[in-house]
Amino acid sequence: MARRVIGQAERRFAALVLLPAAGLLLVFRIVPLIWGFVLSFTNSDGLGQADWVGLANYRGVVTDQAFRDSLVNTVLVLATLPIWILLPMLLALLIHQGVPGGRFFRAVYFLPAVLSSVIVGSIFNVVLRFDGSLNAALKAIGLSPVDWLGNGGTALASLVAVHLWSTFGMSVLIFLAGLSTINQEMLEAAKLDGAKFWARLRFIVIPTLRPIIEFVAVVTTIGLLTGMFGLIYVLTAGGPGTSTTLPEFLIWLEQGKLNRPGYAAAISAVLFALMAGVAWAQVRIMSRNAEL
Amino acid sequence: MIDLRNVSKRFGGMTVIDRVNLSVEEGEFIVFVGPSGCGKSTLLRMIAGLEDISSGDLWIGGERMTDAEPYDRGVAMVFQSYALYPHMTVAENMGFALRIQGVGAAERRRMVEAAATKLHLDHLLDRKPAALSGGQRQRVAIGRAIVRDPKVFLFDEPLSNLDAELRVQMRIEIARLHQSLSNTMVYVTHDQTEAMTLADRIVVLRAGRIEQVGRPTDLYDDPDNIFVAGFIGSPRMNFLPGVATGPASIRVAGVDVQVPGLGTRLAREQAVQVGLRPEHLTAPEGVELPLAIEVVEQLGAMAYVHGSLAPEAPVVAEWRAGRPSVGERVPLRFHPRDLRLFDPEGRRIR
Ligand SMILES: Nc1ncnc2c1ncn2[C@@H]1O[C@H](COP(=O)(O)OP(=O)(O)O)[C@@H](O)[C@H]1O
Ligand SMILES: [Mg+2]
Repeated sequence: MARRVIGQAERRFAALVLLPAAGLLLVFRIVPLIWGFVLSFTNSDGLGQADWVGLANYRGVVTDQAFRDSLVNTVLVLATLPIWILLPMLLALLIHQGVPGGRFFRAVYFLPAVLSSVIVGSIFNVVLRFDGSLNAALKAIGLSPVDWLGNGGTALASLVAVHLWSTFGMSVLIFLAGLSTINQEMLEAAKLDGAKFWARLRFIVIPTLRPIIEFVAVVTTIGLLTGMFGLIYVLTAGGPGTSTTLPEFLIWLEQGKLNRPGYAAAISAVLFALMAGVAWAQVRIMSRNAEL
Repeated sequence: MIDLRNVSKRFGGMTVIDRVNLSVEEGEFIVFVGPSGCGKSTLLRMIAGLEDISSGDLWIGGERMTDAEPYDRGVAMVFQSYALYPHMTVAENMGFALRIQGVGAAERRRMVEAAATKLHLDHLLDRKPAALSGGQRQRVAIGRAIVRDPKVFLFDEPLSNLDAELRVQMRIEIARLHQSLSNTMVYVTHDQTEAMTLADRIVVLRAGRIEQVGRPTDLYDDPDNIFVAGFIGSPRMNFLPGVATGPASIRVAGVDVQVPGLGTRLAREQAVQVGLRPEHLTAPEGVELPLAIEVVEQLGAMAYVHGSLAPEAPVVAEWRAGRPSVGERVPLRFHPRDLRLFDPEGRRIR
């Protein structure tokens, strides 16, 4: 009997704590989501009255070359995912093996992760612009300069490289944490079984790190899809042309610059559907791991 | 089979293994025993190649292996934590070394199954380690070693994570395995019962040095020093302070005793330590020492009675007749040939 009374008190307390959060979520997330969804069926310009236009915005989105380009750019960016995983993993392995100065490298790698993307963008604006320090260095060793940010062929790759520089330290830390949980005796057993460094990596270390690898993949994907806005804004503003326009940036363009909130809402809805698909796939991968 | 020549290990400035010399015969079952931290694992890992040898030389099967890679030494090791590969099935765990060597899948399966049969693991081959009990995991770890058919098996406290009953069972299984495989085995334990029951020869280590090497019964009957005498045997040997009263006579707990078969002549008034095992204190006749019983550990078939014969000299005796009770005064009797004499530094006086 007494236990039930306590149970009820606890439940009331839990509700007291949880309800405000749920309320905030409802007001600031769910309501705007629905409102945005409704907006995507109108020709709202954000000021005067908006008329119902049915699926016209969506028809526009499907045929919009800028949107298609932004999707292609997204695919290109996500295609770099293996680098985002292998590079930090390799560096973490080296630090874990005990290269001299490992703690120093760990700190240095992590440092850029605490800088905001606008600051990072400003730094690399100085480095990458046509009369910037990178080209000065290239010229010094006799190579011809490249317009890293103004050239459609290099702008996106440059952005991705800058984003990689500023965030891979976090992945290194995650991999280091994962490596430190690997049973050393298991690696020694593999040594005695005749497995050399690469065989141990392939058959023991990577399979053991699989949950970590997948976690890094998920976090990195989210970072690529949502964390590049600041860099694009500061470094290229989506150009040249649409070569560095990602959907998120396009939404902001349509919404803020071109004053077409209705159309922007339609892009958002499509993007939301795509992201939900990615998230679903990732949740499935993670829960399959949890069963292991 | 294995030759350790003046082998030492230093971690930083600390010497953990100090000039160890040891020869292990082919097919021998050698047990390293000693208190925790004495360097047993380090010495074993030096043989395996998992720990560098700071100085000295290691020979295995007639080849110098001091700097050889672990795999090239032809040794297999069973770890205390089992160290199984959690993402592989039992069969994959046992066949991993063969896979690395490039043995084909069918041949591998055949060899794994042969080893699994020996260890009663047949029905578990497709399970992951997480789905096995501690005893089963231990058997898989042993199976992984067997499949490779190594020259030498190394065991580092393989049974210390098992419960008491399983430990006894696995101990017998390992003894049987040694008989059927007849490989050389080096086995580390801090448990002197395991050492006594398994070993052809025991190596007693203390603080990185070998205290004594010998057959279990030799160490038990004829220890070189007070450390070995106290470490081998359970409950441990009793040590009583005594003093020499003549070249072959001593006084212990107020009683004069003639010590038979003594090679050295004792100096008068020389201090000695008198070692007496619990089971030697209830002889039908001999020197009598009266004991007031303070504690009785009753085991049914026998009892251990605890008391003291002199201040600071607690004594345990193994009691087989009747049911002793606390507070009783009983006579302990021992035959003088059963006592062992040690000098104040702990060295045996023979
Ligand atoms: N990697 C190491 N670095 C420094 N000291 C160590 C290392 N490994 C073992 N030791 C020391 O060596 C001694 C022997 O250790 P170990 O061989 O594990 O003992 P045992 O197995 O007999 O319990 C201990 O004092 C331990 O602290
Ligand atoms: Mg040990």
